[in-house]
Amino acid sequence: MPSPAEVESPTGDEVLDPDRPWVVLVWNDPINLMSYVTYVLQKLFGYSLEKATTLMLDVHEKGRAVVSSGPREQAEMDVFRLHEHGLWATMQQD
Amino acid sequence: VAWWSRFPFEPVDDERVVVHLRRRERLLLATVVARARESLLSPADPTLQRLFPTAHPDDPARQAEWEDMARDRLLEARFAAFDVIEATVDDEELTVDQLMVWSQGLNAIRLLLGTALDVSEDLEEVDEDDPNVADYAVYDYLGYLVDGTVRALSTHLPPDGGA
Repeated sequence: MPSPAEVESPTGDEVLDPDRPWVVLVWNDPINLMSYVTYVLQKLFGYSLEKATTLMLDVHEKGRAVVSSGPREQAEMDVFRLHEHGLWATMQQD
Repeated sequence: VAWWSRFPFEPVDDERVVVHLRRRERLLLATVVARARESLLSPADPTLQRLFPTAHPDDPARQAEWEDMARDRLLEARFAAFDVIEATVDDEELTVDQLMVWSQGLNAIRLLLGTALDVSEDLEEVDEDDPNVADYAVYDYLGYLVDGTVRALSTHLPPDGGA
């Protein structure tokens, strides 16, 4: 039988797994060129032209797209580099 | 051949790009970069916020941490890009690395200008008595240049993306 310390105490919906991956979103904006956004996604994430174009069109038509996911530190680095390139990026836990 | 009928940046090999800009275009760029530098030195300018997007819109505490971590670094990156453009604005050739910096720097300037002009996605006709008519023209011209950097730099991306 496990000791009490080994039993996770259920506290309802508030129990969040801190290791849940983070997602990085890019949001639509009226200024960045479609060609530039596609290029930046290829450059930063190594995506093919086809995949980067699909993501860019999602941003353009649906307002946003998830462009990467992973641990918090990786997501922060991705967001920073996207901001450095002028893209409108946010991060949130999945 | 009119200047707008050709590409501004022409890749010549794996490392170099020829810059097809006339002297007056280079003078315009130098002026535009100097003006953007002034904007960055005026922290009260609300259009600056576009260069420092919110990373955590739903979490003020995390957002405050983010700003402490990212804002100065993003600012330094823009000044560094402006330094490179100013130092090479008269060059007939750029390295691919320099052109990447031009691309980011010119795009940042276009973001500032577009934010100040409050542009929408579909460019509408500008009124003939609009006091910002010259700024709209510079905004369009920067779009042509940024698109030109992308055309030239895309030839240096791995064709299959590698991912």
